Amino acid sequence: MVPPEYYLLLSSGLFCIGLFGILTRRNALYFLMSVELMLNAANINLVAFSFYWGNLTGQTFALFAIALAAAEVAVGIGIILALYRNFGDVDVMQAATMRW
Amino acid sequence: MVTAFDYVPAIVLLPFVSFVVALFLGKYLPKKGAYGGIAATAGSLLLSIWVLLAVRSGSAHQETYWTWAEGVGAQPFTLEFGALIDPLSALMLVIVTLIATLVHVFSLGYMNDEGERDLPRYYAGLGLFTASMLGFVIADNLLMAFMFFELVGLCSFLLIGFHFRQEGPPSAAKKAFLVTRFGDYFFLVGVVAVFATFGTAAFSGAESFPALAESAINGTTEGINTFGFEPTTWFTIVGLLVLGGVIGKSAQFPLHTWLPDAMEGPTPVSALIHAATMVAAGVYLVARMYGFYVLTPTTMGIIALVGGFTALFAATMGIVKEELKQVLAYSTISQYGYMMLALGSGGYVAAVFHLTTHAFFKALLFLGAGSVIIAMHHNENMWDMGGLKNKMPVTYWTFLAGSLALAGIFPFAGFWSKDEILYEALIHAGSEPLLFAGYAMGLLAVPVTAFYTFRMVFLTFHGNARSEIARNPEPVRWNVKGPLSVLGVLAAVTGVINMVPVQKVLGLEGIDYLHRWLDNEWGGIEGLSSHHYAEIGPYSSTYPFGTEVATVLAGAAISLALALVGLGLAWKLYNVAEPVEHTAKLGGAKELLYNNYYQDEFQVWLANRTRGVSGNADTFDQGVVDGVVNGVSSVSLVSGDRIKRIQTGVVGNYALLLTLSLTALLVAFAILGGWF
Repeated sequence: MVPPEYYLLLSSGLFCIGLFGILTRRNALYFLMSVELMLNAANINLVAFSFYWGNLTGQTFALFAIALAAAEVAVGIGIILALYRNFGDVDVMQAATMRW
Repeated sequence: MVTAFDYVPAIVLLPFVSFVVALFLGKYLPKKGAYGGIAATAGSLLLSIWVLLAVRSGSAHQETYWTWAEGVGAQPFTLEFGALIDPLSALMLVIVTLIATLVHVFSLGYMNDEGERDLPRYYAGLGLFTASMLGFVIADNLLMAFMFFELVGLCSFLLIGFHFRQEGPPSAAKKAFLVTRFGDYFFLVGVVAVFATFGTAAFSGAESFPALAESAINGTTEGINTFGFEPTTWFTIVGLLVLGGVIGKSAQFPLHTWLPDAMEGPTPVSALIHAATMVAAGVYLVARMYGFYVLTPTTMGIIALVGGFTALFAATMGIVKEELKQVLAYSTISQYGYMMLALGSGGYVAAVFHLTTHAFFKALLFLGAGSVIIAMHHNENMWDMGGLKNKMPVTYWTFLAGSLALAGIFPFAGFWSKDEILYEALIHAGSEPLLFAGYAMGLLAVPVTAFYTFRMVFLTFHGNARSEIARNPEPVRWNVKGPLSVLGVLAAVTGVINMVPVQKVLGLEGIDYLHRWLDNEWGGIEGLSSHHYAEIGPYSSTYPFGTEVATVLAGAAISLALALVGLGLAWKLYNVAEPVEHTAKLGGAKELLYNNYYQDEFQVWLANRTRGVSGNADTFDQGVVDGVVNGVSSVSLVSGDRIKRIQTGVVGNYALLLTLSLTALLVAFAILGGWF
């Protein structure tokens, strides 16, 4: 059996890749993908501990998170479309007109 | 068992409901809320008559509805709303509701038929005005009376300034508000003084402030704080403070200047203000706490002197006015002067009697003037009228009845009440010289009153028409003629409720109904009877013409003769086909009278003298009070302006901030939690 430390390492690696993407990329699509990576890092943790304790609740929770992520992508794509229509670009740094 | 007294709150609440309805739903209603107002005031009138009959059948009523503060202050006292129904307030309720109902009906003709705009606001104002006055009338303590007194002032402000799009009315409304407020300032201090002295402000009962004051004068000052003064001195001061409000509201010299300007309001409102609500409030207040005033002879003397002086002073100004309503305005000031003279000379019943008759004939005269104004297309200058007698007979005959009453011609209502006032002043003048001065001025005002009244009647209705409109006046409808007829009859016959001279001369016992009414003969509250007031009052009667009967006859003959002299002079000068301005012969005196003795200018001059004080107060207000408030707000403004800059709108920055904050949080937990 693979000890849980490996899963944790995998998930934290995945999380850091996502975080790096969010902090460095300007393209909204990359942004969305990076968010998905971070979300899945969390899912890995849930499944890993569920497996470790032999309790299915964590896996059920992960299934819900995946479904939610799908919905979130739908919304995200919609926002990106709106962004493109309004600014002619998908650069998230440009859309700064709604501050004070 | 349900008695009339259970419905006393409804008398006040009905007009209040009509106010709310007219305000919020008025524009959707037919006639813009007029019917609601008529229904509400008529309902109040019926309930008031029921209450009057209940008092007639031998009961009186005092009830506390709501105690809204308890145990306040070092000397704990309670602040309450309650009703006090005794013969005086029951009578006043009927007067106020009757006039209010008729004014509402008249407004249909004066406002609706004339196509005025903003009618819901008008009817809302009338409803609130009536409700406030009724609340004032039933008040069972001085603080509640003060609150409703202020509401009455507010409503008069709203209604005088009804035509706020023109230039005159808003300024007149402001003036009425400020001048009466100046008087009410003293009233407020007086209310506080009453609480501080007696620990109560109730009007009736053994623990009421007039009763406590009475026992204090008799030597038992227990539980009373007179701040180191002799009780009589202190009660004089407190009485004069409260009198400040009375002088402002009842338009007595020197705070009478607001009333002639208040003519800018719609005419039905003038009728309501002068006959039943605003101006009557002052005199009613003195009558209500008469048991307190009669204890201090100085206050009584001052009331009588102010009243007598105002009666003469205002009457002289009425002689030269050119506008119909202006003449009536000065006659109101003058007539309220008579009532104050009566109160000051111990004629409690005479004052209430004149309040009653004046309510009827002055409401009649104002509504009659309103009818003339409709006919004249809102031209109020009497020199443009003339000859209206045959074109509007109902208005003419009722107006004539009102004028005869105002002039004090036998047997109209005003004769009986004015005669009784002068009689009371005369028989009590022996014990107080101030009263004699008041009596002399009151007597001098009689021919002047008759003169200006009939100058007004002759100029308006007699002679030839002096303008095109006067030749073809606009006809008025039933809703104008109806109220006029009711009041015309009342102005002619109200005298029968109190024919004291007839009783004394013919020896008929028991026809002085008002005397018996106010003496609790049928029902009433202990300590609030005219009998009691006469007992504790400072005056004794002397009869300068020998016997009582001779004095009654001589007094009545003198005042009637003087009134006839004034009437005759007006007849001779103005009852001609083409009258001319005889007042021009007065020369400089006419200018003086026409400009109201320069009282307005004098008050402006006074205001300018005190500009330094008000300037300093303004600086203090702007600098310190507003400064603190502005300082606090500018701190928030400036810091908000700085802090908002962290919101860049760039998503990357937020993400970075989130990450850094999370890291910082983790590090902090790690250190504090001892992970290392």
